[in-house]
Amino acid sequence: MKKEFVCIVCPNSCRITAEYDGWEIKHIEGAQCKKGEEFIRNEIKNPLRIFTGSVKCKNGNYQLVSVKTNKPIPKKYMKQVAQKTHELVLEAPVEIGQVIISDILGQHADLVATRKVKEKN
Amino acid sequence: MINKDVVIIGGGAAGLAAAVACREKGIEDILIIERESNLGGILKQCIHDGFGLIKFQHSYTGPEYAQKYIDQVQEHGIEFLLDSMVIDITSQKVLTVVNKSGLKKYRAKSIILAMGCRERTRGAIGIPGTRPAGIYTAGVAQNLINIHNYMIGKEVVILGSGDIGLIMARRLMLEGAIVKMVLELLPYGSGLPRNFNQCLADYDIPLHLNHTVIDIKGQKRIEAITMAKVDSKGKVIESTCQEISCDTLLLSVGLIPENELSKMAGIQLDPLTGGALVDEYGQTTINGIFTCGNVLQVHDIVDNVSLEAEHIANGVERYLSSLLKPKNSIKIEIGPGLRYVLPQHIQYLDDTVFSFRVKKPGNKKQIIFRNDNRIIKKKSFIRVNPAEMIRIKLTSSELSDIKHLKVELN
Repeated sequence: MKKEFVCIVCPNSCRITAEYDGWEIKHIEGAQCKKGEEFIRNEIKNPLRIFTGSVKCKNGNYQLVSVKTNKPIPKKYMKQVAQKTHELVLEAPVEIGQVIISDILGQHADLVATRKVKEKN
Repeated sequence: MINKDVVIIGGGAAGLAAAVACREKGIEDILIIERESNLGGILKQCIHDGFGLIKFQHSYTGPEYAQKYIDQVQEHGIEFLLDSMVIDITSQKVLTVVNKSGLKKYRAKSIILAMGCRERTRGAIGIPGTRPAGIYTAGVAQNLINIHNYMIGKEVVILGSGDIGLIMARRLMLEGAIVKMVLELLPYGSGLPRNFNQCLADYDIPLHLNHTVIDIKGQKRIEAITMAKVDSKGKVIESTCQEISCDTLLLSVGLIPENELSKMAGIQLDPLTGGALVDEYGQTTINGIFTCGNVLQVHDIVDNVSLEAEHIANGVERYLSSLLKPKNSIKIEIGPGLRYVLPQHIQYLDDTVFSFRVKKPGNKKQIIFRNDNRIIKKKSFIRVNPAEMIRIKLTSSELSDIKHLKVELN
């Protein structure tokens, strides 16, 4: 089958057409870079996304620490990761890059903090 | 009265990048004035990723992107005031600032306006109906959920397909709400194409183009909206009215540069952008007052805000060294198909980045810069989209002996 995809790797939002049969990719056209082609290969076999969300935080200058997975994980796990973020409560201080959950759901990606939260004065 | 070389109003993406760039050009005496309790502006609440791909070739979240600049501001020891509001600017560059410690006056040699933008509200688009709770602009919803840990509703309809609305559709789904649909008055989406993919399609949220909200029902809390299709002239087709139950309506219907202070100073604005009239260094109609970021023109990508702020720092530095001398003022003519072009005029004929938006989406288009019949620069695009700002640089040699300059879309 032939399908047009919109690449999400960068703001160019390339329209990429792929011809494929099941998981076998026959032809990819319209990607302006290699990352776009890789995105389409994944999109057909196993779509990957970076998860972003937030986790509660006590005694900080923010009530929430924003978080992300440090690598893209299968799209189908987004809601499960969100559920994990709802169950946690952190303590300030938190640094950017601090690992909140390592190897989340066994997907070889860590959930890391993306906001610096200082202790409340 | 406190004297400063440069006062920057706003500590968001534009203000921070301008401050760092000014310091790197050797300007010592800089003050950033921020009305909120933390630096970072809107980036603080944009916890999704996709920031920095142009500037850093890496995808950061908003707070991470902001922190890179906050760290630099702190490393350089640039002075900043938090919880402080500029309530007046004069054309003589005297600023009145109010905060908990009282009222202070500053006299600046140069001012950089970096106040950002605000959202259009229900009032701006005039939706009839009752006035219940549960109607939010997308950015306010984003602030409540991502900063204040306050969930805004369970069953959501989104009107307008701007980027913040799309990002919030995904965020709400992951936070356990149901986003029933996104309605867009125009025949095409207003956000970046990648956001329709990763925020709506990924979560099976339907997008209805050529649709709007014509009524709001509910007394204390919103209970339903009436959606309707519009014809090619934007007129409601009565037979298509349909009631949709919901407890929340998000509005993502556009952004307005926040130029109250600019007006107070007597700066001339461009009705096409809602921002100031500027030259190639972002200098307004008052010499020594510069502007950049969303208060100048609404951007879709923060990287371009940083680049714009860094560029105007060149002008600020040259202004302070009395090196900013006009050569030849040329007004830029806007050809059909373009909504606006910035800068509106050039007067130094140095390297200039022109930024503009097209009026409607199109395929296989060309942007042409011409001086009467002579083509100065031509660039081809596979497609153009009003959601995506186009930036094209013309060098000083390309601009050297022009008399007129027109930008066209063909």
